[in-house]
Amino acid sequence: MLDWLKNIQKEYPEFWKTYLEKMDKKSNRYVAFTLETTGLNSRKDVILSIAAIGIVQDQVLIGDVFEIAIPQYKYLHDNGITHDFVLESKMPKLAEPAAIENFIAFIENAVLVGHRTYFDVEMLNEVLEKLGCGRLRNEALDIEIMYKKVHDLSEKSIALDEMAKAYKLPVTEHVSPTDDAYNIALMFLKLKSKLGLK
Amino acid sequence: MSNAIAYRVADFLKDFEPFNFLSYDELVVIAQSIRVLNLDKNKTLFQINDALHDSFYVVAHGIIQLMVVSDAEEMLLNKCHAGDIFGLRPFFAKNNYQMTAKAKDDCIVYAIPITVFKPYVSKNQAVLDFLLESFATNSKNQSDKMAKGLITDSIAFSENQSDLLYFQTLTYNRSPLKIGIQTTVKDTAQLITDNLYDSAVITEQGNPVGIVTDKDFRAKVATGRVAISQPITQLMSAPVVTVIENISVAEAQLVMLKHGVTHLCVTYDGTDKSEVKGIISEHDLVVAQANNPGVLLKEIRKSTSAKELKSVRDKLTEIIQSSLQRNIPLTHIQSIAGEITLALVKRAIELAILELGSPPARYAWLCIGSQGRKEQLLLTDQDSILIFEDVPADKYRDTKDYFIRLAKKATATLEKVGYKLCAQNHVASNMLWCKSLTDWIKQYNSWMNTPGEKSNEISSVFFDYEMASGEQKIEDALTEVIFKNAKNNVLFYDFLGNDALRKPPPLTFFKKFNVEEEGEFKGKFDLKNRAILPLVDAARLLTLSNGIKGINSTFQRYKQLAIIDPKHAEIYLNCAEAFLTLSKFSTEEGLKEDSNGHFLSLEDMNKVDKERLKAALVPMRDLEELIKDNYQLTQFS
Repeated sequence: MLDWLKNIQKEYPEFWKTYLEKMDKKSNRYVAFTLETTGLNSRKDVILSIAAIGIVQDQVLIGDVFEIAIPQYKYLHDNGITHDFVLESKMPKLAEPAAIENFIAFIENAVLVGHRTYFDVEMLNEVLEKLGCGRLRNEALDIEIMYKKVHDLSEKSIALDEMAKAYKLPVTEHVSPTDDAYNIALMFLKLKSKLGLK
Repeated sequence: MSNAIAYRVADFLKDFEPFNFLSYDELVVIAQSIRVLNLDKNKTLFQINDALHDSFYVVAHGIIQLMVVSDAEEMLLNKCHAGDIFGLRPFFAKNNYQMTAKAKDDCIVYAIPITVFKPYVSKNQAVLDFLLESFATNSKNQSDKMAKGLITDSIAFSENQSDLLYFQTLTYNRSPLKIGIQTTVKDTAQLITDNLYDSAVITEQGNPVGIVTDKDFRAKVATGRVAISQPITQLMSAPVVTVIENISVAEAQLVMLKHGVTHLCVTYDGTDKSEVKGIISEHDLVVAQANNPGVLLKEIRKSTSAKELKSVRDKLTEIIQSSLQRNIPLTHIQSIAGEITLALVKRAIELAILELGSPPARYAWLCIGSQGRKEQLLLTDQDSILIFEDVPADKYRDTKDYFIRLAKKATATLEKVGYKLCAQNHVASNMLWCKSLTDWIKQYNSWMNTPGEKSNEISSVFFDYEMASGEQKIEDALTEVIFKNAKNNVLFYDFLGNDALRKPPPLTFFKKFNVEEEGEFKGKFDLKNRAILPLVDAARLLTLSNGIKGINSTFQRYKQLAIIDPKHAEIYLNCAEAFLTLSKFSTEEGLKEDSNGHFLSLEDMNKVDKERLKAALVPMRDLEELIKDNYQLTQFS
């Protein structure tokens, strides 16, 4: 009777199945990540790049970095946006399906950490749906919410740079998405210890 | 896989030793295995006796303090700034950490795994040398930074300490004169005299059985009680008071007092049943206690370049820092720092004279402002004036020219030492502030008798001065002029009073701190202008009007005022205390931030400190009233 459930499982692509298998265990790894998108509408807009960095035992692992630019030629062309900046990016480029597949393999069952994570996760889910996968199952934390909690702020939104400045993090002049992910990771460590999270 | 962060880290590392010895590509590879740690303020990274970590550390951001514990108190060894490496012990030794690394403020630290870095060390001699060297300096003391080549594995921190450490171990005579029990009194006296000692230990099979000192010869031989042909055992004091090695100054002193002796015998295990290691005399104690500032003064006198003077100044910073940490009274620290700074200035002038030839006229170089009050603990700016004696008109130009050149050289030296030139250019190398005695007297007369006439800015810093070098009589002449003019000079007091009270109030109507609203220091509290300067200015006004001469420090001024004006003694004493508290805040902030300590960031302060700061601001209001009552502040307000 429950065969239809198994059938759904079968239709998933291979990488998604591996991902789901890993979800059974709890991870001690966090992944700080950030997306560059064309806009704020998760249905219409697309992801231009993904950058992420791993954190284990309160240490940011510089070797554990993920960065990929997605040259959305078709989307950019259709909407008449120039795509020079994608071409100029030093990051390795992959088409959307491959990029997402790699990213899912990178994050595994780690806890995701981002700035306005709900939106980024929504964007990812949108793409995953296109690929015939389910929704992301990772636990997710948002440093903006953590920051508001620590400082007892009620303001609506706090930009990443603003937070970096408040914590005197070194801000490089040319900010690449990977730098952002790195800053999110550092900020996360600070906020984590301020909130006393284990 | 590409990795922008690895490049970013490599970019950071390549500017610092020892990483600059490696190629960029190598750095990128190393960077891949780096882990980044975030340390909150006061968080400990590793402690003494912790097992070694598998990595060493580079400070990316913030300041890490390396400390050792001595007599149950933490003592600062070194501060690591961005780019500094520390925690090198795993490279060279197997035993546990010998020091504590603690974050002074919020820090970000790169951990570089030893296994990854080791291949580069063995391949690259320059890297190895640097690591060995910094291992030696980090584990010993900053003052050894100049001395290269001396590399030990142990931390020999107990000796050579350049601070006011009372609990330091003593340096004493480690090869005392040992004589057998059969020796006669005469031979012993001869041996002691030959060796220029003042004592000898009498040993039997290496163990001490007695001790003779000059006192024994005086009391027992010269008085005829013991003949010089008798064996020494008749003369010696026995049993000897023995102590262990590594005894601290404080303890040695206690033992001497307890037993009423002037010499202690150091033995292997601290009893008289083991081998003699040395002798501690009272003299050693005196030397140990007077040790460090004295040594610095000596070093200053020997220095021949700005660089050497700078290293002395660095040591002074250490002294100040460790003194503050162990709560040595601030007035004491200030007077020591004042003397040393004065000696620095004097030496800078001497160096300039050595270069330019002897001066054509007698002169006086006065330090003014905070150094004039001997309240300068941090590397703030230098203010000075130069007065030379009156010379015939035809020689005036050459003389002035010489002194300006002299002042330029001396101030440049001081600038290299770390004292920035005063922003208002109140330095002797300025034409305006380098002139003959007559001109200076005219200047002071016009400042004091017609204040506010020519310009509103008579800088009150000119009324705190201390001579660094030159002719005492010139300084005396100036003092006399000032006090003659000051007598019943209502206008002048009025001016000074207004100057003192014009400063912005430190607290708002709601008793909140008045912080800077804009500019570079937005959100910080202007400790100097809002809190310290009003107290300083008020003290100057009150001492001038009461005719108190020769007391320059603000603290002492208030103390003295309390004596001669007992009616308001309480206010004065409160102000004296408040001044010390505020200075301490400023100094601590300055040392922490490596700044001049003028601005306090309130966010980083805990509640207790904030309350203490607030309490220190209260006495000022009483003082303000007192000044308003005493001097009719009408002319300029």
